Amino acid sequence: MESFITELLTLLFAALRSATPVLAVVLGESMTQRSGVINLGVEGQMLLGAMTGFAVASITGDPWLGVLAACAAGIALSMVHAVLVLGCGANQIASGVAVLILGGGLSAYYGIPFVGDKIDTLGNLNHTFVSDIPLLGQFLGPITPTVLITLLAIPVISVFLFRTRTGLRWRSTGESLDITRNLGHNPAPYQLAAIAFGGLMSGFAGAALAVDYTANWVEGMTAGRGLVAVGLVIVARWNPWYALPAALLFGASEALNLKLQSWGVDISPYLLATLPYLIPLSVLILSYRGLRASGGGMPAGLKVVFQSAR
Amino acid sequence: MTSSTSPVLKFGLRLLAGPAGAVLVMAATFVAAALIFFAINGREALSLFHEMVMGAFGDGYSFSETLVKTAPILLTALAVALPARLGLISVGGEGQLYLGALFGTGAVLAAVEQPGWLLMPLMLTGAMAGGALWGVIPGLLKTRLGVNETISTLLLNYVGVLLVSFVVHGPWKNPNSLGWPATIEFPEGAILPQFFDTRVHMGLIFGVVAAIVLHILVTRSRWGLGLQVSRSNPRVGTTAGISYERNVLIVMAVGGLLAGLAGIAEASVIQNRLQDGLASGYGMTGFLVAWLAGQNFLRIIPLSVLMGGLLASADSLQLYAQLPKASADILQALLFITVLAVSSLWARRRAA
Repeated sequence: MESFITELLTLLFAALRSATPVLAVVLGESMTQRSGVINLGVEGQMLLGAMTGFAVASITGDPWLGVLAACAAGIALSMVHAVLVLGCGANQIASGVAVLILGGGLSAYYGIPFVGDKIDTLGNLNHTFVSDIPLLGQFLGPITPTVLITLLAIPVISVFLFRTRTGLRWRSTGESLDITRNLGHNPAPYQLAAIAFGGLMSGFAGAALAVDYTANWVEGMTAGRGLVAVGLVIVARWNPWYALPAALLFGASEALNLKLQSWGVDISPYLLATLPYLIPLSVLILSYRGLRASGGGMPAGLKVVFQSAR
Repeated sequence: MTSSTSPVLKFGLRLLAGPAGAVLVMAATFVAAALIFFAINGREALSLFHEMVMGAFGDGYSFSETLVKTAPILLTALAVALPARLGLISVGGEGQLYLGALFGTGAVLAAVEQPGWLLMPLMLTGAMAGGALWGVIPGLLKTRLGVNETISTLLLNYVGVLLVSFVVHGPWKNPNSLGWPATIEFPEGAILPQFFDTRVHMGLIFGVVAAIVLHILVTRSRWGLGLQVSRSNPRVGTTAGISYERNVLIVMAVGGLLAGLAGIAEASVIQNRLQDGLASGYGMTGFLVAWLAGQNFLRIIPLSVLMGGLLASADSLQLYAQLPKASADILQALLFITVLAVSSLWARRRAA
């Protein structure tokens, strides 16, 4: 029994670590979508963030500088989306795909010299007071700074969004551009900030993946995490608190995939690798039932984008 | 414009608004984007660009390689443009291509002893079924549960690629391939016909014919009119006896089927077997071409040739100028961004 609980806790904390990059993107993209803009380019921003973060960490030897550079790269690339969507009025989905391809291309092009480099990591909580906590210490020890920062972002975003005046206007922008304008507020700065914040979080997510989690750079290493995150935003109902369980869903499926492989389960690793896509997709499908009935907290301004079909 | 505008100019303007105009605008933006990108990276922009054009259209061989790349781009672009007629944004060309290759190869392996006249139709049917399946699933999710098709197609792309990896590393792996993950070579009867001693294959013909047929169906048939009605107002469509749900399934299935053909053509002619990295990126390129063409089936044909040229020249530049392969992605993205910006601003100005 005890070993079962240990096993379960190990899995949970492994899930938390592998969920962190996805969680950061879900949080950022939720904020973007709260202002009425969807950005599929987060996948590309994440890749560019991962490459830039890893490259800067490798050149300067300081992984924290890498994290900062990754955030800057994410914001910079997200501005392409901002110019296309806000400046030119381009279709949001198409613009997102353009950013996605650009980020993938740029990171592959400029990342070549850094493939195989070794970098210093951000460290973890081992050998701090935390690892001396009885029973839980062994699980809390491997937790890294990006996990903590991302978890901390949840209450911060929540307070900003639901308890401040600016947060209220941010949300009203996503509900109706017209009403926001009629109340005398210009929605453009809010949407710009929302896209930039999405860029910041996805760049950070890239660093969490390349600088912290894997300490490695490989072309296309995000493998769809950004796109999974866009799907999970719907599961999380655009709410920062629900973002955590939604992202853990991805983390758990990835941790489960690795765990099953280490147990020597006789299933092809390629089939197991479909779990991190199929499980979020299945939950997305389930959560759509509630969405259909009540709208499920979808910003009204987004419906135009999502239902341009009908 | 006054009434004194010469008829020649009028004709020229009308031409510019049509397919020729789209190609011209795209060519111009592409030249600009490429030159700037090369210059930023400290390359001899003009000479490199010259190399690029030669690498795509310089001689018979280059042009044939361009056409080889055109086929999958054309087919996956159609797989995006057809659902777009109903207002659906499908990004699933990549996954449908892989599923087509998977099912088509399955048919080949199952009927490997059969003569060509039987094997070839089986292979193509399998490929179409596989691609259609990967289109119908997001279609069903859309009609039954309202799941956004963009997100479901994007996620299913990854699953499709992994399924191909699964079979070539596992059950379908050729035991004599010395550990290389691939199926056995396709027998003679399962190789699509090629033309003029080049690698240009039937897939290109499939694409061109499909584009023309779809154009006629959508613009001239009752069904095409129904799509238009359904798109602008599904309720009106329903009262007129046009089922939005059924049309969603049809366009997703037909789109997927075409992308599936692209997949089996790559496996059969280009690789001669099913293996990893079958066609990385053609699906995305197809998405881009469909948008550049304004979801117009006829415009997709010349634009696919141009984009095929871009990919072919990127291959040759990789050899001769050590320009990384990713530069093709960057150029595609720059092109897409410019065209999106220009066309959106244009539409906005006209609306104002």
